[in-house]
Order: sequence, then C-alpha cells, then structure tokens
Amino acid sequence: MSSYTASKSLYKSVFGAIALGLSVTSLSFNVQANGQITDQVNHLKDHLSEYSEEVSWLEEKYDGLVTRYEAKGTEAVDTQELINYWEEVNFHSAIETQYIPLYATIWQHIYGIKTGIENGDDAKKVRQHQRELTQTFWQALGAVKLAAHYQDKGVIDKIKTTDKAPTSAPEIITDIEKRLDKVVAKYAEQLTEVATTMVHDTYMERFEGIEGALIEQDASLVEALEKDFNVTLPQAIENGKSVDEVRSIVDTMKKKLDNAQSLLEKAEQNRKDVF
Amino acid sequence: MQRRTFLQSFAVAGALAALPMSIRSGFAATAGAISVKDLPALEGDLTLYLGRGEGGLYEKVLDAIRQRNPKLNLQIRRGATAALANTIVAESQAGVRRADLFWAVDTGSIGMITDAGLARPLPKDFNEQLKPGFRYPRWSPVTGRIRTLPYNTERLTADKVPDDIMALADSDLSIGWAPAYASFQSFLTAMRILEGEKATLSWIKGVSKHAKSYAGELGVVMAVERGEVDLGFANHYYTLRLKAGKPDAKVDLAYTKSDAGCLVNASGILALSDGDLPFNFMRYLLSAEVQAYLSSEAYEIPLVKGVKSPTGLPELSTLTPPDLDLRKLADLRPTLNLMREAGVL
Repeated sequence: MSSYTASKSLYKSVFGAIALGLSVTSLSFNVQANGQITDQVNHLKDHLSEYSEEVSWLEEKYDGLVTRYEAKGTEAVDTQELINYWEEVNFHSAIETQYIPLYATIWQHIYGIKTGIENGDDAKKVRQHQRELTQTFWQALGAVKLAAHYQDKGVIDKIKTTDKAPTSAPEIITDIEKRLDKVVAKYAEQLTEVATTMVHDTYMERFEGIEGALIEQDASLVEALEKDFNVTLPQAIENGKSVDEVRSIVDTMKKKLDNAQSLLEKAEQNRKDVF
Repeated sequence: MQRRTFLQSFAVAGALAALPMSIRSGFAATAGAISVKDLPALEGDLTLYLGRGEGGLYEKVLDAIRQRNPKLNLQIRRGATAALANTIVAESQAGVRRADLFWAVDTGSIGMITDAGLARPLPKDFNEQLKPGFRYPRWSPVTGRIRTLPYNTERLTADKVPDDIMALADSDLSIGWAPAYASFQSFLTAMRILEGEKATLSWIKGVSKHAKSYAGELGVVMAVERGEVDLGFANHYYTLRLKAGKPDAKVDLAYTKSDAGCLVNASGILALSDGDLPFNFMRYLLSAEVQAYLSSEAYEIPLVKGVKSPTGLPELSTLTPPDLDLRKLADLRPTLNLMREAGVL
C-alpha cells in the first residue's frame, strides 16, 4: 500500500475539489482551492486498478476490525485505525474530487463504526455500518470509473488548483449546491468548525451575490433560504444533529435552489440587452 | 464640517472643447452621458481585473462591450476586490504589470491602488461627464449606492424617522443592522471620519442597546418588512429589489441629511497602463446605455449626468450625502477596533 500521508495532509489543508455530480450535463470541476492537488485525480483511468485494489483492501481491513470487535470487544480495537485506513489510500482523493455525496456517506459510516465501538454498542449495529460502508466503497469505485470514462473522452475539465469563480447566476447556484454537499462531507468527517465556516462563506461569497436578483422573482423563496443559511443549517451543525439530518436540510435547500435556478434562468432570458 | 449638496450642473462647455469630435457630438446630445454610438471602437489587448460585483450583470455589460468591439481582446481576471488590489500592488512590487484596468466594487480598494501611485491620471475631459462630487483625478466612479433607512410602513411613518443618523442612538426605535457586513463597516468608517471616534463609539454602543443583528443587509430589509424591527441600516437597492418582487411589501426608504447615514459609495475603475485604449474602455462603462442598464437592472445609481436613477429612488440631486473623499473608506482598521470595543463584533 503506497503511503498517502504526505500528499494527503497537503491536500487536506485546502478545501480540495468540489464534487462532480455524475450526470453529463453537470460535469464540471470547479475547485475552491488555494493549494496543490495531486495531479493523479486528472488521470483517473491510469489508476483504476490501484483504486480497485485499495477498495478490496479497505473492505478487508474494516471487516477485520469489526470481526475483532465482535469477538473481543472494545478493548481489542484501536478505533483510530478506522480513520487511518481511509486516509491512507489514493482512492480517497479520487472520490472526494469526483462525487462528494458518496464521500460524505463514507465518512458517516466510518464514524458510525467508530462511535458504535467506543460506546460498546451491539455488534450487529456496528456490523451494519460496516456493510453499508463496504457498499458505499464499491458504489464510489463505480462513480470514479464513470468519471474516468468521461475524463478519457474529454467531456470533463481538469481539476484546477486556482479559484475560478462562477459568473452567471445559474452557475453560482450550481456552485452553491456543490459547496453544500461539501458541508455535509465535512460534517460527516466530524470537522464541525470547517462545516460551519463553509456554510457562512457560501452565504457571503455566493448566495449573497444572487439573492438581490432572486428576491425580484420570489421574495418568500429568498426568505426561506436566508433562514436555512443563517439559522437552520448552522444550528443543526452546532447542535450535533445526525449526518442524515444535516443531509436532509441540505437536500431541502438544494430543492429550493433548483427552483431559484429556474426562476433566475427565466429572468435572464427576459432581461433587456445592454446596447 | 463641509457638506456637499448635489445641484444640477450645466457647466459642460469646457469639457466639450477637450473631447474628440465624435464624443463631443454625443455629449452635447445627451447633456452628459455619451452614447456608445459616439465612442471610438476598441481594438487591441486589454486585461481587466474585476472585483466580485453585482451577480452576472457586470458580466453582461462586458459581454456586450466585447460583442460591439470584435477587435478587442479582453481578458478578465475575477476575484474578491480587496484580493485583486493586493495582487496589483504585489505584481507592481515584483516589477510586473498584468492588469491594464481595475474595476472595483468598493472605493477602499481603489484608494489602495491610487495611494500606491499605480493609477494613471485620467484625460482632462474625462471627469466632466460625471456628476459633481464624483470627479477624481486618477479613477472614475462607475455607479453608486446610497445608505438608507428602510422602515416598516405599518409601524412608522416617514416623519417619525430621524433625519440625523446620530439621533438614532438615543431613539426608542427597534433597529436591524448587519455589523459584519462590508457596506455597514464602510458606513461606520464614514461616520468615524466625519464625527470622530468618540461620537462613533458612543453611537455604536447606543444603537446596540436596541438593535438586532442579521448576517446581511437584505436580511435587515426583510426583517423590517416582516415587522421584526422598526427600521434598519442598508444600501438602497435591497429595498428597491424587494419591492420589485413584492410590490405590497411593508417597507419604504428614509434618508438622513448630510451625514454618514446617507453616504454614497461607488464602484470604480482605473487604468494601470498608458494609452487611449484603457480610457476608451472606461468610457463605455460611463456610456448612457451602460449607466441606464445598471440603473434599471441592478438598481445602481448612475453617476453620469443625464441618466435617471433607478425607479423608486429620488434623484441624487435631491439628496445630501456627506462631503467625503471615498478613498478614505479604505481605512477600516480603526472602525473595526471601535466595533470590537463596543462589543458588536
């Protein structure tokens, strides 16, 4: 197993790449990064066999750890290994840059296992998290393979290490939705402060730039999203709600944002010309 | 303290003499604003550093300029205004210049560049098309925004809103504000410059006793409209946009007189390289069409003579903003110190 630690620590020092929704129409990387990202993520096809090996290795490791817990209890397990395994593999950055919702789910189940073991929960409950984690790893591998295919066809852009700010209102909303997915991922990773900061920054740097135009279209929608950004979501994070609850809030916000996107696209079509 | 009153000015004769013939004719025809039809075609390479602005509307303007000038190769670097200003200064210190133009959403960043001596002086005729009070030697305001007091029309009438910003500290009105918001901090900076640190600190402490905080100023306006507070502090366009989407919104605008409460701040542009091309590009932003577009679509205040203010806003000539060199608003640190001392940050 190749060591991932050095490049990973550098990579994790920046926010990394924004997720790619794996539908062809939304295949764009818009990286909110100010540091270096390993170029491996721009050559996915070359690394697919490595990723497959890593997923098999992860499955074995997590299964083994939970089996040890089933047999010998909490004392026999070092739960920090659950984090280390995942941070050790190159596949980590592949899925983090390609499909953030699954990346979030992976962290959710890793911490589900960790918390279950540390609390001495029923082994069946811990095993259930491990099974779902394994399923998610394989789903994620499928997503990375699909992204590799599109990357190979030249359909998707390279992940860039400089900030390319979205310019139109629909682009900004797409970016907001990706950032919210990242919030769930960081919360699942138990980086609560990072998640809270991302919500605030997303509001100030993105939503604030479009809400003036949106309020002309639907004032109540802006009011609802204002509350989501400034009250509902940050409070859910600060109050330690479950990852599923935070994800549910984000999903609801994304539906409202989809509505906002439609309204703004329509408004844009009706906007008069400059000259 | 000197105050500025905006009076209509018709002193354009001197300016006309200095303009090219094609521009002169447009200028005369519109009594201030020049039509793009009368501007020279833009040809050549230009790199613009564009501070994050009004959604996609600035982009629409730039696209339209590109389409009208197919021989213009316009490269744009986008980013936060303050970050771009820092970049320009750093590039200069490193002996390189990548930007020909800098379009900033706030005048503080403009001040940083002019103070560093990097902005090229404007041609003599350039300022004459701008409204009095908005003429500077090395940069040009593009559009303005005015500080206002949005108030709930079911809880207050206009005559119950003080026309002195300092009086609000001791009033019994409930107030909405957004202390972390950049525009609010610029407004407080203006107050600090105009009224002094002691009076500003006292004002912050006084208002904080009956104020409710919001993340942004649209949030303030919406809270006013809901009746959560009696009035708020906000830039004008939030209220106008809310009323555009919700004509029966229970909010209206009041203005103070000759103080920081009715400060007009501006977005601005300056040239970093020599030659006519950067200045001619700037003339497009001041054209009648672009000024009218930003007024009607972004609710920004045109700063060129002869272009109407956005619907719902009084003409600038009827308002009394304070006399202040807007570049001084860059000096934010003492303001933040006062806010921290008052416990609102």
